[in-house]
Amino acid sequence: MTEDSFTALMLLSTALFVVGLFGVLARRSILIQLLSLEVALAGPSLAFITAGARHADAGGQAMFVMILILAAAEVALGLALYLRLRRTADGTDSDSLSSLRH
Amino acid sequence: MEVFGLVLTYNHLLLTIPSIALAGFVMLGLDPFRLRDFEVRALALIGGVGPLIPMLVFANACFHGQCTGMVPIFTLKVGESTVALALQMDPLAALVGLTVCVIGAAVILFSVAYMQGTALPDLRRFFALMHLFLAGMLTMVLAGDSIVLFLGWELMGLCSYLLIAYNTTSAEAIRAGRKAFIMTRVADAFLLAALLLLFLEANSVRLDHLIPAGVAAQDGMRPIIAALLLGGAIGKSAQVPMHTWLPSAMAGPTPVSALLHSATMVAAGAVLLMRFSPIIQAEPVVMAIGAGLGALTAIFGAAAALFQQDIKRLLAYSSISQIGYMMLAIGVGAPEAAAAHFVVHAIFKSLLFLSAGHITHHSPRGTDIMAMRGASQRNPLAFLAFSAGAASLAGLPVITGGWWSKEAMLGAVWGVEPALWTVAVLAAVLTAAYATRAVLIAAMPDPGSHDGHADHDDSHDTGYTLVPLAFLGFGALLAGGLVEPIMHLLGAHVPHAPLFTILVASIAPLVGVAIAFALAYVPALANGLQRARDIARRTRRRPRRQDKPAGFWVRIALAFSRGLRIDTLYQIVFVWPFVKLVRWLNGYGRGVADPAGNLPAMAALRLQRAITAPFAPDWIDRTWTAFGGRILALWAALRRLQTGRARDHGLYMAAGTAGLLLLAWGLTWH
Repeated sequence: MTEDSFTALMLLSTALFVVGLFGVLARRSILIQLLSLEVALAGPSLAFITAGARHADAGGQAMFVMILILAAAEVALGLALYLRLRRTADGTDSDSLSSLRH
Repeated sequence: MEVFGLVLTYNHLLLTIPSIALAGFVMLGLDPFRLRDFEVRALALIGGVGPLIPMLVFANACFHGQCTGMVPIFTLKVGESTVALALQMDPLAALVGLTVCVIGAAVILFSVAYMQGTALPDLRRFFALMHLFLAGMLTMVLAGDSIVLFLGWELMGLCSYLLIAYNTTSAEAIRAGRKAFIMTRVADAFLLAALLLLFLEANSVRLDHLIPAGVAAQDGMRPIIAALLLGGAIGKSAQVPMHTWLPSAMAGPTPVSALLHSATMVAAGAVLLMRFSPIIQAEPVVMAIGAGLGALTAIFGAAAALFQQDIKRLLAYSSISQIGYMMLAIGVGAPEAAAAHFVVHAIFKSLLFLSAGHITHHSPRGTDIMAMRGASQRNPLAFLAFSAGAASLAGLPVITGGWWSKEAMLGAVWGVEPALWTVAVLAAVLTAAYATRAVLIAAMPDPGSHDGHADHDDSHDTGYTLVPLAFLGFGALLAGGLVEPIMHLLGAHVPHAPLFTILVASIAPLVGVAIAFALAYVPALANGLQRARDIARRTRRRPRRQDKPAGFWVRIALAFSRGLRIDTLYQIVFVWPFVKLVRWLNGYGRGVADPAGNLPAMAALRLQRAITAPFAPDWIDRTWTAFGGRILALWAALRRLQTGRARDHGLYMAAGTAGLLLLAWGLTWH
């Protein structure tokens, strides 16, 4: 892997993460925030694979598989929470769920 | 055959033993096919009896000297350590696993009839949790490494909590579940610490590496590990001083009490110590503590059981007492005798619970011991079963299984410490007394029904209930023949005790039986007991009411019927201070809400008043004063940062991480 493509891929992964983070912070709909989290997770995954390829280490790909599992678990939990929330509160607005403040 | 790099052998069929029960849990828990009532019960039966079949095959091979030993399941190398998950089938695992499978099958068979008429979702939840428990217990028993062992151990604790609190409409049941959960969690922390220390010693999780490494541990590690193991076992097995959760746990359904809180899960602490007995036996002090606590528990549990007014609480104290015997045997270096008693106790105690549940089912008195009255006419078969169980519990000489296993333990105790032997024999007298008392009450005619067998209720007298009762009943009487083979299997011999100790130990149950008859039929004693009971009944409703001073024996009876009020003591020492602290931190009473923020602000205000206020105000002072005065406003502003919104907190986290990264970047900049 050339130095240029390594830098480009790292920048791309950073961009992916920032896009996802922006989505989580800027949107209020829980569903869109969950989607954004998935995008954000794609960033570190790409970074792991890139770094793994550069150092010729399978650990990077192993971490990618782990992030996949993490993301699946997170989506399962997130959607379950989302469904529960829709019954008790307005699921379209995450800002309305602030009762933990008290 | 090779799958994913794992060479599958015939021995990997060991995995099916817990997997069948686990599959039952998944099917009943998720319910993908919208099962009907009949199908739920059929599936419950399959999941409950299924594990018995592979278990029988493996255990049979093991009893004939062909144990499969360690079966590696999954190996992961992390740096220098190796995580090697494995199951093992050695004589101890075969013995305990087979007992658990048999008792589990009998109890689930019984509950299929017992839980009749329960709403479908509750029925599914009940059997799903029973299956999960079976899977957890079998995993723990068959575990070949500390990770699987701990996983099974925790699963049992979780199922215990969920099944005690099964009746979600009862505040008492939920409270009892929470109590059991918290107390066993404390013990689980001990076990986790012990397993982690062992891991540090051995650098491996496999039990066949851990135990020798634990025995060889240096630098004062071994006593700590042994003590932590003992602590974990004491909490799970409800031994003094961590016994108070078990009597409360009787708020769960009766089959749950029969399977979890008497026969199998509660005795798991003893099984744990048998598994790790080389480490325990290397530490004489820990052994002595274990033996002492065991003897104390045996006599305390028996004395408390004698005065219980509730049949299930009586049996709960009885379990505490009997497991005390096992701890005593382990403590004097005879874990094999304890294993034999584990098997016999599992049989007769589950029998006692099931038959008592059968007798008192649908009774308007609930599980009060008086609900047992008239059982000999109303429900003769269950009465016979109960009597067989009680005879075995009392340890009537020669004809019952309980006598043989108790004799093996007492023989071992005599050889080590005659003082503890005396305590154990006294406890045996009390054991026979309370067991006989329950039978005598069940034999009394029921004053509620005027003609002898008025309401013979055989609506649930089906094969589902009779087969387990009859099977366990014969088991309770005949299991004595198992004691010697069990001890041989585990590589030990039945200890040869002097003849007079055997005689004393045989007379002890008979003395207990005589005491029970005396208490029931000698008028002076019976009246005194009745008075104590009346006081107990009255004060249970109005605890603060002062009664006129009662006699010495009445007070003794009262104290034991309340378990010496150890529960209240714990409430005062542990629970209330914690509740008070939490309330104080939340600003109730004279507490300070949000002390992390308010205490510095209050201190700043005090400082300002004490130092700057006495001086004449000039501009410097005014600045100071303003600083002091603004602290509160500043804190209020800072509090507004906490919005409770996920977005805002996400932003803070991102900003904080970015800040840390920048800091790290700056520090490593060349």
